[in-house]
Amino acid sequence: MDMLLAILIGLPMTILVTVLALLIGSVLALPLVAGLRSHNRFVWLLCRGLVDLLRGIPPVVWLFILYYGISVGVIRLTSLQAGVLGLGLVAAAYLAEIYRGALTAVHAGQWEASSALGLDRATIWARIIAPQAWRAAIPAYTTFAIGLLKDSSIASTIGVAEIVFMSNHYARQSGGSITVYFVAAAVYIVLSVPLGMLSRKIDIRMRKTVTR
Amino acid sequence: MTLQPVTVTKPVVEVRHLAKAYSDTVVLRDVCLSIPAGTVTAMIGPSGAGKSTLLRCLNLLEQPDSGEIVIDGHRLTAGERVNPKDLAALRRSAGMVFQHFNLFPHLTVLRNVSLPQERVLKKSRAEANAKSMELLTRMGLADKADQYPSRCSGGQQQRIAIARALALDPRVMLFDEPTSSLDPEVGVEVLEVMKELAAEGMTMIVVTHEMAFAANVADELVVMADGGIIESGPPRQILQDPQHERTRRFLRAVLDR
Repeated sequence: MDMLLAILIGLPMTILVTVLALLIGSVLALPLVAGLRSHNRFVWLLCRGLVDLLRGIPPVVWLFILYYGISVGVIRLTSLQAGVLGLGLVAAAYLAEIYRGALTAVHAGQWEASSALGLDRATIWARIIAPQAWRAAIPAYTTFAIGLLKDSSIASTIGVAEIVFMSNHYARQSGGSITVYFVAAAVYIVLSVPLGMLSRKIDIRMRKTVTR
Repeated sequence: MTLQPVTVTKPVVEVRHLAKAYSDTVVLRDVCLSIPAGTVTAMIGPSGAGKSTLLRCLNLLEQPDSGEIVIDGHRLTAGERVNPKDLAALRRSAGMVFQHFNLFPHLTVLRNVSLPQERVLKKSRAEANAKSMELLTRMGLADKADQYPSRCSGGQQQRIAIARALALDPRVMLFDEPTSSLDPEVGVEVLEVMKELAAEGMTMIVVTHEMAFAANVADELVVMADGGIIESGPPRQILQDPQHERTRRFLRAVLDR
């Protein structure tokens, strides 16, 4: 029981890292996806390069670079800041690709009809394209969010006191029993399975109203 | 080159020397057209003739390479930068109906018709809804107002699309093969609505393969092939006595089958 309690002390941090990284990723992915769709060769190349760079390097390496690498000068990131920022940046790259795919799922006729009606670009994006793209993105988005929930454990490597960090701590103190990791696994399952169920439910409900 | 006989009414749509090409493929060559107010113009011709492209150039869904378009006094010259205000005004004057309806699937039928009024005409939600319900009632679709488009048949969806375009009080309605993706029986519902519109004096340009509609409802028949207008005039005259060999070949293909 105290094993579970010891792990649960890390739960708020796991959720905090996941939510903040997802938030940063979701927002930063917007300019990235705009760049990926840009007709300007330079902007496109810049964003394409950024996405490939962010995705191409393992998240744990990003965290090390941000945590240990940026110590020159006055800026020094705490482990939480480095963890959230690192995972958020990597999330931005993946989410940009998810958004991009979702946008291509919106039929070209939607643009044409909106333009022919004389709607301005901002309205077309906000009221017509984005809501439809968002619906198309939900399954991939939640899959990624669940993945991120688990990947937040990577932040333990730079000392963020989340679930895995607390499990390690407990294992060392109690003489190396691995039972604690089974309990940690159960905690992750309890968190991620309902998320998946919720996602499928939303997806099915939206499909029912929207599919042609 | 002027194809239109002299008419007393001022044309709502004027097209002068319109041309367009995709790299090496010419899709429109020197098209001139004049559509008097209150008339129905049917455009027929083989696929690839440029009918849809011409229609889509009229509200600038496609950019022509050269030429000039005047719709309800809004003049656009190809190649010149279009300022957004002129573009908005032009698109407001021309309502468009698509082959695949292109209703907004995430909005209810009522929102589909009301949203553009709120955004383009700056109407209040209540004003827009009142107008929408009036149009939907006219289309026999008042009971569908709170449904999503996916719950409506193809013929219903197309009539909703017509209502959505009419709600903005356009001066001319552009129909791009409005019945081509519908079963013949369902298409009739849409054609009935279009006939009513014509009877009310709406100016209409209709790209269509419905020869009966072209013959009976249209005031003017325009035959296109290979990116150009090869013949135009009163429908009966063209259908009975086509002047151009290409027209004869096309009419044989669509009528004698």
